[in-house]
Amino acid sequence: MSREGYTGFTRGEARTSTARALHFASFGPLGSIARLPWSIILLIVGVGLTGVAMLFSVGWDPVAQAPSPDEANLWRDQITRLGVGFVLMICLALLPLGIWARFAWPAYAVVIVLLVMVDFFGVMGGGAARWLKVGPIILQPSEPAKLAVTMALASYYQRMMPTNGQSPPLLVHGGALLIILVPAALVFKQPNLSTALALAASGAMVIFFAGIAMRWVAAAIGVGLLSVPAIYSFVLEPYQRERVDTLIAGITGEATNGLGESYQIEQAKIAIGAGGFSGRGYLQGIQSQQEYVPEQQTDFILTIIAEEFGFIGAVGLLAVFAFLFVWSFRVAARNKSWFGRLATIGATSTIAFFAIFNSGMVLGLLPVLGMPLPLISYGGTALITVMACFGLILSAHLHQDEKMSSRGLF
Amino acid sequence: MARKNSPEADFDRRLLLALGAGGVVFATLVGRLSQLQFFEAEHYRKLADENHIRLVLAPPQRGQILDRFGRPLASQRQAGRVSVVPERLDDPEATLLQLSKFIDLPESRIKRVLEEIQTNRMRRASFVPVTVVQELSYEEFARLRVRAVEMDGVDVQMASTRSYPRGRDFAHVLGYVARASADDLTRLAEGRSPDELKTFEELFRHPDIRVGRQGMERFAEDWLRGRPGRRRVVTNAHGRPMQELEQDPTNAAVAGKDLFVTIDAELQRVAIERFEGESGAAVLMDVASGDVLAMVSTPAFDPNAFVNGISGKDYAELRDNPMAPLYPRAHGGVYPPGSTFKMVVATAALEAGVVKTSDTVRCGGSYRFGNRTWHCWKKGGHGTMNMHDAIKHSCDVYFYEIARRTGVRKIAEVSHKFGFGETFVLGMTGGRSGLVPDPDWKLKARGEPWFEGETLNFGIGQGQLGVTPLQLALMTARIAATGAPLKPKLIGYGPPSDEDKMLDAPLDPAIMEIQKAGMYGVSSEPGGTAYRSGDLGLGGPRLAGKTGTAQVRRISAEERAKGIRGGAAIARELRDHALFVAYAPTDNPRYAVSVIVEHGEGGSRTAAPVGRDILAAAIRMDSGRTPVYARRADAVTPSTDGKPDGDPV
Repeated sequence: MSREGYTGFTRGEARTSTARALHFASFGPLGSIARLPWSIILLIVGVGLTGVAMLFSVGWDPVAQAPSPDEANLWRDQITRLGVGFVLMICLALLPLGIWARFAWPAYAVVIVLLVMVDFFGVMGGGAARWLKVGPIILQPSEPAKLAVTMALASYYQRMMPTNGQSPPLLVHGGALLIILVPAALVFKQPNLSTALALAASGAMVIFFAGIAMRWVAAAIGVGLLSVPAIYSFVLEPYQRERVDTLIAGITGEATNGLGESYQIEQAKIAIGAGGFSGRGYLQGIQSQQEYVPEQQTDFILTIIAEEFGFIGAVGLLAVFAFLFVWSFRVAARNKSWFGRLATIGATSTIAFFAIFNSGMVLGLLPVLGMPLPLISYGGTALITVMACFGLILSAHLHQDEKMSSRGLF
Repeated sequence: MARKNSPEADFDRRLLLALGAGGVVFATLVGRLSQLQFFEAEHYRKLADENHIRLVLAPPQRGQILDRFGRPLASQRQAGRVSVVPERLDDPEATLLQLSKFIDLPESRIKRVLEEIQTNRMRRASFVPVTVVQELSYEEFARLRVRAVEMDGVDVQMASTRSYPRGRDFAHVLGYVARASADDLTRLAEGRSPDELKTFEELFRHPDIRVGRQGMERFAEDWLRGRPGRRRVVTNAHGRPMQELEQDPTNAAVAGKDLFVTIDAELQRVAIERFEGESGAAVLMDVASGDVLAMVSTPAFDPNAFVNGISGKDYAELRDNPMAPLYPRAHGGVYPPGSTFKMVVATAALEAGVVKTSDTVRCGGSYRFGNRTWHCWKKGGHGTMNMHDAIKHSCDVYFYEIARRTGVRKIAEVSHKFGFGETFVLGMTGGRSGLVPDPDWKLKARGEPWFEGETLNFGIGQGQLGVTPLQLALMTARIAATGAPLKPKLIGYGPPSDEDKMLDAPLDPAIMEIQKAGMYGVSSEPGGTAYRSGDLGLGGPRLAGKTGTAQVRRISAEERAKGIRGGAAIARELRDHALFVAYAPTDNPRYAVSVIVEHGEGGSRTAAPVGRDILAAAIRMDSGRTPVYARRADAVTPSTDGKPDGDPV
C-alpha cells in the first residue's frame, strides 16, 4: 500500500483520471450534474420523503380515517422545504471547492456579526433569543454558523498545514479551537445548548482529523470526563439536571413517576416498545397518533417510525444514516485538498452528531435536548442546514481532485 | 521523509478509528432498540394499551317518582342545552356575545362561562364542553339549532334533565335534586370503598347527573340513582375520546328504579287549591292501609328552580319570604294541637279509670285551680257536660277537670301511643317529632318541677305540647280504625323506610268508639262545633271531626275583658291557628284528615270546610283504590327491573 510521494487511495486516483476525462469531455454545470452521485442523492431525498410520510402519519386522524385538517400543513410544509433544500443542495454541490474556500472567511465573519447582533437585538422565543428580525425576514444565525465554522476551520487548516509532511504544531490547533469557541460561546449564551454542542463536537472532529497528537486527544477526553460532575452541578440549569436524572433513572431501570420531565421519555419508550419487531403498520401508531408523545413531529419523530415500522424500520433508518456517513468519510478520504477533507469531516460530523444524539435521546440513552433528527424532523431551518451540509459533501465528492494552493486564498 | 507519520497517513488511520467508534455507537443504538422492541416489547405493548383504552363513564338514567296511579311526579325530561367547546373557540367572548343575541344570557352567566373555559384550558381539557344554558326554552332551542351550525364550537343538543311536572305540589314531599356539592359527596361517601368513591366522584361530575338534596329525592337517592356503566373508548393523551370500541353489555349503565308514592296527585292538587293561598298544611290518610294520600304544605316552592342551581338572589327571596315557602309544614311544622287533642285526653282519662262517660262536670265558663283561673272558650260556660257533650262542644272546663284527675304522666303515655312525640320519616327529610311534655322532660330541659297547672293546659292541647299535622292525621286514623294497628306509608314501592314502625300500641276499641261518637257529635249533632261542615255534600256520607284553635300567644285579661279574641284587631301573625281533624264516611271510615290553617283563627270556620272538602274529594275520586304498584309491591324481588334489590351502585 505504500506509494511514493503521496498517501491516498489507489482506486481514487484511478477514478480521478476518469472524472477528469469526463470533465473535459463535457462542459459547464450540465456535465457536473451528470457526474453527481445520484444514487446517494436519491438516498438523501428518500430519507427526507420518509420524514414527509411520517409527518403525514402524525397528521392522520384515526377517527375520521383521513388527514386531520389542523395538521395537514405538517407534511405539506415539509415537502416544500425538502424541494427548496434539494435545489440548494444541488446548487451548492456544483460549486467548486475553491469558491467554498473563498467564501469561508467572509461567511464566518458575517455569522459572528449576526450572532453578536442576536445577543443585542435578538427576538425572544421559547425562553431564548435565537432569531434576528430584519424587516420581514427572520434569521436564525446559529444554523448557518454550523456550515460557516466548518468552512472556516477547513480553510484555516488548508493554509496552516505544513508543507514538510509534518503535522501542524499545537499552536495551530489552538487557533482552530479559538475559531470554534467564539461562535460556540455566542450560541451557548443565547442559550442554545444543542447547537453549541454540535459546533463544538464537529469542530473537535475537524481538529482531530487535522492531526492533533493523540496524547492531546486523550488529555481532552480525560478532562472532559473529569469535568462531568462540575458541569452537572454548575453549568446545567435545574431543568437540564432533572433531564439527566431522568435519563440515569431510565437506564438503570429505576421507576420514574412518568410525569414532568420523565413523561416524554416514558411515553416515547412505550411507543417504541409497543412497535415491536415489525411495527403496528403505517398510520396505525396509536401511541404516537393520539398525541401521547410530545414533540412527535419534531425531535421525537423517531418514535412514530419505530412504532409503525418496528425494529426493522428503525434499524433500517439508522443503517441508511450510517451508510451515508461512511460514504461521506470516504469522500473525505479521497479528497486531495485539506480544505475538502476537513470540510467534509466537519459537515458529516454535524449531521452525524444530530442523528446520533437524537436517536440516543429518543431511546432514553442521552438527556433530552432540542435535537432534530436530520432530514426527517419537522422544521425548515434544520432541514435546510442539513441539506446545505450534504451540498458541501457532494461538492467535495465532485471536486475531489481540485488543486488548492495552501497560501493563495487570501 | 517520514511518510508513515505524515498528516495524510494519519488522516486515514484516524478515519478508521472514527469508523470504529461509529460502529460502537451504531451497535449501542441497535442494541437499545432490540431491548425495547424485542425483549421488552410485550411490556410496552401492555403499557400502550393501558394508556389509550379508557373506560369512560356512561351515566345512568335516574328513576322516576310516580304517584299511586302512575302519574309522573319527578321524571327525566329531554331539554335543549347549549354548550361551547373551548378548543373550538377562537374568541370565546365574541361567541358568547353572539349567543346572547338569540337567547337570554345575563352578563353574570357569561362571566362564569368564561371562567370555566379558562379552567378547562388550564387543565389541558379544552375538549370538555362548558354548559352555557342548561335548559333552553322551546323557542330558544329552535332558534339556536338553526344558528349554531354557523357558529364554530357551539353545541346545541338535547340532554336529560330532572323535571317536576307538578311543580310546587310535591315540593316538600319529593324535595329536589341539585348538582352534587362537596358536602353531598362526603355524605354519600360514608361507608364506601375507595373504588366506589372514585366512581362516585366521576359520576357526580357528569353534567347530566344530579344528587337528591332534599326530601324523597335525597332519602331514596340510592334507589333512584341507578348504576353508571362504562364505555370502552380509545382516548388520546389529553383524555379526549377518539374512537368507540366494542361495548361490554355487562358494563352498560343500569337505569335507576322507579319509585311510587302512596299519594294521589289529583287529590293533592284539589287539597292545595282548597287552601286558596292561605298558609297551612293538610294530611289525608287511608285508615285501613296507612297510605298517605295527600300531604300538603302551602305555600311551597318550585323544585324545578333548584335542579340547575338556584341563584343566590332567588334563594334569598324564598328564605326570607314571611310566608316561609321552604318550611315543610305537614311533617316538619310543630303546632299546639288545641282542642283536636281532646280525644287523646279523654282516652287517657278513660284508660286511667278516673272518669266514666256518664260523669259530668259543670262548666261555668271558668275553672279555678290553686290561686289561678282557667277560662273556657265559651264565656258564659256550657253548663253540665258529660264526655260526649264535652267533645261535641269542645268544653275546656270539662277537660281541665279530667286532665287534672288523670295526671300528666298518663296523658303523656297515651299521647305516645297515638304517635305524638315520634318522628315519622316516611321517606322524606325535615320531619320533626314535636314535643309531648312531662315532668321528667321539664326538669331536664328547664331545670324546674312540673306545675300541676300545666297539666290543665296539656288537657286542652296547649302549653308546651307540640304536634305535626302528620301526627294529627295518624291520631285521627287510629281513632277512625277503632284502635286497629296502623302502618303509615308514603313510599308505595321503593326503598324500605325502616325508621317508621307500625303504630300498634293497644288502644281499647270501646274507648275509641266513645271518641268516634264524640267526633260524630261535633259534626252531625246540633250544637256541635262543626255542625255546618258535617255533610260532605255527596248526598249521604258524613264526616266525624273535631275542631281546634291553637293559641299563638296568651290572651291578656284586658283583651278577654274587651272580648277581643282576634280578627282585624290584631296582626295576622299573632292570630290563632285553625285546626280540624276528621274522618269519613262515619259508618265505615276510610279516610282520616288533619288540616291546619295558619292564623285562620277559628277551627270550625276556616279549617273544617277545608278538611270536609278534601275528604269529599277523596271519597268522590276514590283515592284509596288499589294503586298501580300493588302487583310490584307484592312481588318482593322486583325482577321486572332485571336487577337485584339493594344498593344500585
